[in-house]
Amino acid sequence: MTTTAHVTVPAGPPPPAPPRAGRPRRADLGERTIPYLLLAPAVITMLVLLGWPAVQVVAISFRRLDLGELVRGEIVWIGLDNYRAALSDPEVWTVVLRTVVFTACVVAATVLVAGLLAILLRHLAPGVRVAVQTFLVLAWATPIVAATTVFQWIFDQQYGILNKTLVKLGFDGFAGYSWFSSGPSTLTVIGLMIVWQAVPFVCFTIYAGLLTAPRELYEAAAMDGASPWQAFTTVSWPSIRPLVMLATFLSVIWDFKVFAQVWAFRQGGPDGESTTLPVLLYLKGIASRHFGLASAIAVLMILVLLVLTARYLQLLLRSKEGDL
Amino acid sequence: MKRWTKVMTGAAAIALATAGCAGSGGTDSGGDAAAGEDRTLTVWLMDGSAPETLTDALHEEFEQANDGVTVKYEIQPWNGIQDKLTTALASQNPPDVIELGNTQAPAFAAEGVLTDLSGDVDALHGDQWLDSLKASGEWDGKQFSTPFYAANREIIYRTDMFEQAGIAAPPTSREEWLDAITKLEAKFGSDPQFQSLYLPGQNWYALLSFIWDEGGDIATKDGTNFSAALTTPEAKAGLEFYKQLVDASGTTAPKDNDEQNPVQAGIFGQGKVAMMIGLPWEVATATEDAPDLKDKISGFPIPSKNAGETAPVFQGGSNLAIPVNSANADLAKDYLKLLLSEKYQTMLAEAGMVPGASTDLSPLEADPVSKAMAEAAKNGRSVPATPAWATIEAGQNPLKDMLTAYLTGAKSLDQATADANTALDEAFSSGA
Amino acid sequence: MNKTMGQRVALNTVGVLVAVLFAFPTYWMITSAFKPSVDLLTADYDLIPLSVTFDNFVTAINQPGFLTHLRNSLIVTLGAVACSLVAGVLAAFPLARLRFRGRKGFLLLVLIAQMAPMEALFIPMFLLMQDAGLLNQLPSLLLVYFAITLPFTVWTLRGFVQGIPFELEEAAMVDGCGRFGAFRRVILPLLGPGLVTTSVFAFITAWNEFLYALVFMRDSNKQTLPVWLSTFRSVFGTDWGAIMAASVLYALPALIFFMLVQRKLVSGATAGALKG
Repeated sequence: MTTTAHVTVPAGPPPPAPPRAGRPRRADLGERTIPYLLLAPAVITMLVLLGWPAVQVVAISFRRLDLGELVRGEIVWIGLDNYRAALSDPEVWTVVLRTVVFTACVVAATVLVAGLLAILLRHLAPGVRVAVQTFLVLAWATPIVAATTVFQWIFDQQYGILNKTLVKLGFDGFAGYSWFSSGPSTLTVIGLMIVWQAVPFVCFTIYAGLLTAPRELYEAAAMDGASPWQAFTTVSWPSIRPLVMLATFLSVIWDFKVFAQVWAFRQGGPDGESTTLPVLLYLKGIASRHFGLASAIAVLMILVLLVLTARYLQLLLRSKEGDL
Repeated sequence: MKRWTKVMTGAAAIALATAGCAGSGGTDSGGDAAAGEDRTLTVWLMDGSAPETLTDALHEEFEQANDGVTVKYEIQPWNGIQDKLTTALASQNPPDVIELGNTQAPAFAAEGVLTDLSGDVDALHGDQWLDSLKASGEWDGKQFSTPFYAANREIIYRTDMFEQAGIAAPPTSREEWLDAITKLEAKFGSDPQFQSLYLPGQNWYALLSFIWDEGGDIATKDGTNFSAALTTPEAKAGLEFYKQLVDASGTTAPKDNDEQNPVQAGIFGQGKVAMMIGLPWEVATATEDAPDLKDKISGFPIPSKNAGETAPVFQGGSNLAIPVNSANADLAKDYLKLLLSEKYQTMLAEAGMVPGASTDLSPLEADPVSKAMAEAAKNGRSVPATPAWATIEAGQNPLKDMLTAYLTGAKSLDQATADANTALDEAFSSGA
Repeated sequence: MNKTMGQRVALNTVGVLVAVLFAFPTYWMITSAFKPSVDLLTADYDLIPLSVTFDNFVTAINQPGFLTHLRNSLIVTLGAVACSLVAGVLAAFPLARLRFRGRKGFLLLVLIAQMAPMEALFIPMFLLMQDAGLLNQLPSLLLVYFAITLPFTVWTLRGFVQGIPFELEEAAMVDGCGRFGAFRRVILPLLGPGLVTTSVFAFITAWNEFLYALVFMRDSNKQTLPVWLSTFRSVFGTDWGAIMAASVLYALPALIFFMLVQRKLVSGATAGALKG
């Protein structure tokens, strides 16, 4: 990130030497507590409202907590039984793998489309740009129940506008074609919908990043005779790289956890072939009211996510100062 | 880093120690239920269950009969009701009367979160109860919930089309039914959009009818255990009949979806469908934008393979229960007693539902579509009364997958039934 | 920018195509809201609606509780957005600019806080709110949405603060502004685009949340719009036309919110030019 900061001051004389001299001096107490005071609202909120329930989830994963225990307020410790139950299911590893692949595809598609779109936005006439932005926001703001329904209608076997249009265009094979007859095909449609709703956020983030790279830099690059690609790699990319990484990281977390959309289409069917980990959690844990098992699956999900994002977290921990 | 880790470990330890305190039961709350004091009875009924005229009259009568009692009536939406009930039952002030879908009732009963009503069956008009809903309310030999109301599917048809196709009377056997399909196809089949019978691939309620009619069942009971019975010849015959209907009618309804997606009543309302298997109130949906169809719609029970009989039907509906943590269980029982009395059960029937605690179905006979439902209601049945069923219905129903796989030819009859049988058995064993 | 006329036309054509592609599902939602229910799914070719009705909107608006739920949603959502932005900006600044003990630990906390699936957290959250005596009160939802959107807000704003050249801030400090003054006069205005992205994100997240609204708010007059939206589905079937009409009404506030804040995005762009 600091790299961004330094490329942005090419024009004009170099700034006066920063008053670094003051830094090694020991800051007084007030100065030292400032960061903590500023962080306090965020830290307290997160610890109480996210941290505490999350710790509870870990604790519950070692308990039998069905509806009966919950209502009676009973505490039944059962050690690793919930984990055993979750992992003894021969399907669980298939589901983990499926969820990882699904997440990877959706995230890759989202970031790619959003990145291209953000670059495109810069070059559009103002009217067209506002139109694109408006539609992006609408896609983003569409309630999930409406979005999932509309997508099911569009892809309906018999009455869907997609099949009807394909037939009109001469692809007769799509008359009565079922988009939901197999897991991969079902997941593709679901993935399309998720990408549709996820692109706006990533696109706006990257676009905002692009705006911080001053126009003069592009002009300078153009005068030097740089090709558009060179201009991109030397000017645009540095200013959006941290944001792209950030968006990718967040998308991995979000898309991995997507539940409502996957559930709405076929409840993880047909034959369980579109079941992802959150669906498994809901099906085995929440819907069956085995909240201990649900918590165990949730803990497993967090572990898988930690593995997936390990590289990013590692970079963060190893990096000096404020990089990343 | 180290310090931070220490803090987290400490927090985890505290959590482990105190996590138990959470979820405290709430029997002590709700105020002292001493006589003479003002009390509030909280009643949760589902959206669309009891008509407002009924609840208004009921609550007025109940409040008059019980001095100082106020009924707090809250209508609950179906969406997310499982999660809402779960938390409400665990809260410090749970509702005093709740409505449960009949297929979910066993799951709640098995968890021991409902008040045992075995001793009150007679007082609650038990002799009038609908068999299928009584069975849904039972668990391990005890009665944990009472019937409320039910509905069952029938064949909704277009009288004008039947007339034009020369079908004199509604079919009373499977043979006549298939015959009617042939006649309708001969008369209207030249219109590519015409469907003699709209039957989506995953209408498993219809499949249940066919299987039961063959003398089979989806599962057999042994104590509180169930084992799937989809590989029996009877179950296979039911499935084959389903396919026969699909083939004969050439229905263009999706094979990979159920009657809700797309909403079949909407398709029926477009006027190109002669028959569908549905609930009486679907007629209202169908005629909403096509009022001219109103006089041309009637219904008949799903015919049996034995001429003159009606096929057994799946009865969907609701049960009523009192949460075990309710502070007003005695009042709640009085409330149930009043709601299940003849007066209010008749009002339910007049609203077009099969009353759960009245064997008198005559109020339903005024309307031909409701009459057909009442005719078949005597032969109503339900799904296995096991906690597992709530889970099966919540998500991945093996019967639906079986139908789609068989109808699309993805699996053979034997393969489809065998796979579904295994899936059902797994659900039975893990759900309990 | 010296692009030829042809290049411009080509780029804008691509832009229009993308807009159409993205608009299509929304278009389908809107046209469905205007279709009579028998036309929702038909064998006829209906890219343009066969007939138009306003009945669905009438049904939707007449569904009990629209205004109450709208008010509740606005309170909870705007409250959460405001809290999230304030706490987020306060935290982003030290995280990006200052060195102090526990900084990395906090960053990790922020990251991992987002990993827990919300479906699994609802029981502990419910018990927490019950113990705090906040059940059935709008602040409980406000707090949850604040917490859900906070990690993201902190993380993103930190990124934007880092993107602002340190030299600008130092120059301001040299000019006699204190650290706070430099923050207010230099950083805050430049954060414009970041604030837009994060506030729209927080708005939409809170606006769409269903499970917690359903479970925490027992009284129907305390519930929010997503719960209202789900009342169109009952045992009697689902009135899809009305759901689509309701969804259109429901998406409008989010669009209006974006329209209001997006000007910042433009002014943020001009602020970016100042740097040079």
